[in-house]
Amino acid sequence: MKVLIVNSMAPFVWGGAEELAAHLQKNLVIAGHEAEILRIPFQWEPAERIPSQMLMVRAFELWNVDHVIALKFPAYLIRHPKKTLWLLHQYRQAYDLYDAGQTNLPPGQEGLELKYLIRQADQESFAESRNIFTNSEVTRQRLLKYNGFDAAVLLPPVNDPELFPGGDHGDYIFAGGRVNGMKRQHLLLEGLAKADARVKLLIAGPPDSPDDAACLQAVLERVGLADRVRLDLRFLPRQVYAEYVNRSAAVAYLPYDEDSMGYVAMEAATAAKALITTADSGGILGLVKNGETGWVAQPNAEDMAVVMGEVFENSARTKSYGQNARALWESMKIKWPETVETLLR
Amino acid sequence: MNLIVFTPAGVRSAIGRMAALVTRELVALGCQVTVVRTEAQHLLSTDMHDFGTTVLAWDDEASVLALVRSADACVYQIGDSFEFHEGGVRWLADFPGLVCLHDFFLGHLFYGWAQTHRVQAESVLQNWYGKEMAERFFSFSDSESFIEGTREFMPMTEWICSRAEGVITHSQWGCDRVLNSCSGPVRVAPLPYDAPGAINSPFDRRSTDGGTLKLLTIGHANPNKRIASVIQAIGLSPLLRQRIKYRLVGAIEPDAMESLSALAAHLGVNLLISGEVDDSELNRAVNESDVISCIRWPVLEAASASAIEAMLYGKVVIVTDTGFYADIPESCAIKINHSNEIVELQSSLISLLEDQSRVVSLGAAAQNWAAKTFTAKNYAEQVMEIILDVSRSAPAIKAINYFCQTLRQWSYRDNPVVMAELTHQLHIFEQNN
Amino acid sequence: MKIALCSSLVPFINGGYRNIVEWLKSLLEEHGHQVEIVYLPEVDSPELLFQQMMAFRWVDLEMADRIICFRPEAHLIPHRHKIIWFIHHIRAFYDLWDSPYRGFPDDLKHRGIRDALHRVDGAGLREAKAIFTNSRVVSDRLKRFNQIDSEILYPPVFQSERFRCAGFNDEIVCISRVEHHKRQHLLVEALQHTQTPVRLRLSGASAGADYPRDLSQRISELGLTDRVSLDNRWISEEEKVAQLAHCLAAAYLPLDEDSYGYPSVEASHASKPILTTSDSGGVLELVQDGMNGYITEPSPEALADAMDRLYLDRTKTEAMGISARDRLAELNISWSHVLQRLLA
Repeated sequence: MKVLIVNSMAPFVWGGAEELAAHLQKNLVIAGHEAEILRIPFQWEPAERIPSQMLMVRAFELWNVDHVIALKFPAYLIRHPKKTLWLLHQYRQAYDLYDAGQTNLPPGQEGLELKYLIRQADQESFAESRNIFTNSEVTRQRLLKYNGFDAAVLLPPVNDPELFPGGDHGDYIFAGGRVNGMKRQHLLLEGLAKADARVKLLIAGPPDSPDDAACLQAVLERVGLADRVRLDLRFLPRQVYAEYVNRSAAVAYLPYDEDSMGYVAMEAATAAKALITTADSGGILGLVKNGETGWVAQPNAEDMAVVMGEVFENSARTKSYGQNARALWESMKIKWPETVETLLR
Repeated sequence: MNLIVFTPAGVRSAIGRMAALVTRELVALGCQVTVVRTEAQHLLSTDMHDFGTTVLAWDDEASVLALVRSADACVYQIGDSFEFHEGGVRWLADFPGLVCLHDFFLGHLFYGWAQTHRVQAESVLQNWYGKEMAERFFSFSDSESFIEGTREFMPMTEWICSRAEGVITHSQWGCDRVLNSCSGPVRVAPLPYDAPGAINSPFDRRSTDGGTLKLLTIGHANPNKRIASVIQAIGLSPLLRQRIKYRLVGAIEPDAMESLSALAAHLGVNLLISGEVDDSELNRAVNESDVISCIRWPVLEAASASAIEAMLYGKVVIVTDTGFYADIPESCAIKINHSNEIVELQSSLISLLEDQSRVVSLGAAAQNWAAKTFTAKNYAEQVMEIILDVSRSAPAIKAINYFCQTLRQWSYRDNPVVMAELTHQLHIFEQNN
Repeated sequence: MKIALCSSLVPFINGGYRNIVEWLKSLLEEHGHQVEIVYLPEVDSPELLFQQMMAFRWVDLEMADRIICFRPEAHLIPHRHKIIWFIHHIRAFYDLWDSPYRGFPDDLKHRGIRDALHRVDGAGLREAKAIFTNSRVVSDRLKRFNQIDSEILYPPVFQSERFRCAGFNDEIVCISRVEHHKRQHLLVEALQHTQTPVRLRLSGASAGADYPRDLSQRISELGLTDRVSLDNRWISEEEKVAQLAHCLAAAYLPLDEDSYGYPSVEASHASKPILTTSDSGGVLELVQDGMNGYITEPSPEALADAMDRLYLDRTKTEAMGISARDRLAELNISWSHVLQRLLA
């Protein structure tokens, strides 16, 4: 089949969604299909420009395409008789972020009308889709609450599971992923300051901006303990990243209220590593069960310190948490061949 | 070009007569034309003008539908009479086309249509004129107050023009509403007319009746024709009372007849009311006259067939200086201001009496100009040109309609900033005519 | 600079323009620019054309420093610094209007669409800071239909340094899609009229099975199976380089193509002369008869004659091969030239 993946594009920006689309394409081809990605530029500033972007997508004509998989607003407005949504993002500024007052929609009546417009277009697209999946439970809940559609969660698989066989139980806790304030790597440093002397930490990943890197450095300086912490702040080559995971004692990922589980957690579970997170981290709580597959701490330095200490207190327990994490992950059967097949139903 | 012309066809219809002239020219220019007559059903079998081509009835749904689907364009002659244009309205609703707008005021047409489409009609009124205005439309008790109450603020021009892919109107006047409601090209073209009953040279006929001037008003004697003002103008001048013979030819209501006769008698004006006459008697009356009064207030027509005809007959016409009449060159008519109607009428008539050679020269100039301007060939060429223009603006208009429809589905509410965002990059689609 | 390369596309169909776009991206990135490719779908149906064109007007690439537009209607994307490298019009509304390829009636409605399209295309093109085309044929059409002047910027081949000359064997190669309009059958017909033992090697994929099968049959019928190799598949880049390195000459004789086609440029890089015909179109901008190849009448006899000459007069053949290479410089067919012009 000829499958077209349709995604929105912020020109010159490459992020998780783009990675996902690329891996989806690769796996569609592995499954025997022809697959291409259509990336549609989307400009949402000023908010009054959004209707033109919506109409643009709606006017596109697709020929020679058997099936469409659309990922984001407004890309999923594209017309096709066989359209499946794998919803990574609605335009949250018209939904939950609007309610939270964090929106670029203008205040008052004007903003309300734009919000309504987006909602109406969304309803139309959702109704005309063959199937709707979301990439996380949070996204699913939001879709149900605001648009009344009951979708199924389809978690994105790990892209290269063969790189995460696990390995020796190392002497450090690994914190991977992007570095910024929302990801809260600083909490780990603050926790380390109060934790047992055995605890070591490796924080590695690309900072969103030089400021984010500087902030983290500043926290490190403040808590001292440079001998127990290693910072590797850059975009890591895949092999390096995999090694960091495979050789760790446990893996920590504690963002503030994220929709999805996070690749860091999924890759850690694949490698049978125990997981550390916080109670307000969001989607990852689907994988981290306190006392079974890892630890769920309160988002403060004291609690974090305790949890980090426990990793090294009883290594058998830590390893078994890791095994449990892997078992839980595998029980979810989140693998690319199944994912592709589900999307093309 | 393969065209369908929707028009009244009966001999009583001036528009029909014009449409027949234009149709024959279109055929001469190489078009294939079929005519669909649009009168109300009880008039569909009346005698017709000679179109020189096939004429169908608008209520023959199957045939007309087949025709419309295979035509290059539809041309709709539209005027303010539901009795004459019922079929035009019906087909225009489903098949947009070129509208030849004969009256910019279409209140009567709309009213007639609204009798069987009340709900739609109210929606149309609200859409164009707002709720408050819309509520008033059906509230008038008589014809005069209806016209007065609607002509300025609810002329219904937009109702028809918004269905048009292009509009030909016959004077500049009233164009604003047309331009505001028709998304396609709009042109002004002089109304084609002929005057077959005219005796050729105006120069021969100058056997004045011992210095008397024969003044004529043609058509239905309603207040719009300012007959009372003419009578007053004559009545206030001893010279005019002596030397002007004023004749009315056309349908007249008994109470109008009574009041006008009484007024004339009271003022000592020589008034002859002939009532409705047949065509040959009408021709004779026009030929015998010297001056024709075409003054109007309010002006409701986009063009005046009777004024054009009078000029083609080589007659002096007295017109109100507004609307279509304002377009007539100064050398071809006598123009008066409504605000000073009676006084100016008086002085114009007096000056004609004082220099009767002006009757000849004005008449000749008028005839010359009218014969060159109001030709069916000109008009037919304009029709073909605008149809081409329409074909070039149609693709972009269709695309815009598609987007508007989508926005409506999404419950879009008017927002000027959003509209600016949508339109500012679309100017390259404008066809600069 | 941040540069967006914009083109319309048909999903799953690999038109030649995709090569230009993707090769250009590599090159620009090598020179330190940030490049984003913007491919947007477009279907040429008269009924749907204008709404798609309007959609292109709403594409916002303001964050790019400049945009380069290729296939229609990408040239309608607005930008303060728009460069156009025009590949072709929507030909059914232009030069193919009076041809069986139009696909819709020549009536008032469609003429209206055509006229409106010409006007809008012109307006969109005139917004550009510079307009380039891929051939004189296309430049002429832009001038004729839209009254727009343009500069010819010939599309180079990717990594041309791969091509080399390693000698001249007895084979004339034709490396291109095996399709009726590419006219491999003409070469086969020609071979039967040759006097020398010159050989043919035809390589390339086909959209359908009919043409290659007919070709194969004809080769048998004419008793030429020992002199013609027909490899009906997409050959690898390495195979192509090898074939061109050793061949006698390259043949490329499509029917009336706009642009000169990569095969002729590849052969030139390999210092081999090109055999083509007078009705091949854009190739004639590259090939000059007797200089860097032969241009013959599109008849088997005339082609056979040229093939024999290539075989017999090796000195001339080699000299023409060297001229072919020089001709590339003459016409500025190089990536450095492309970059210089696009980034001016």
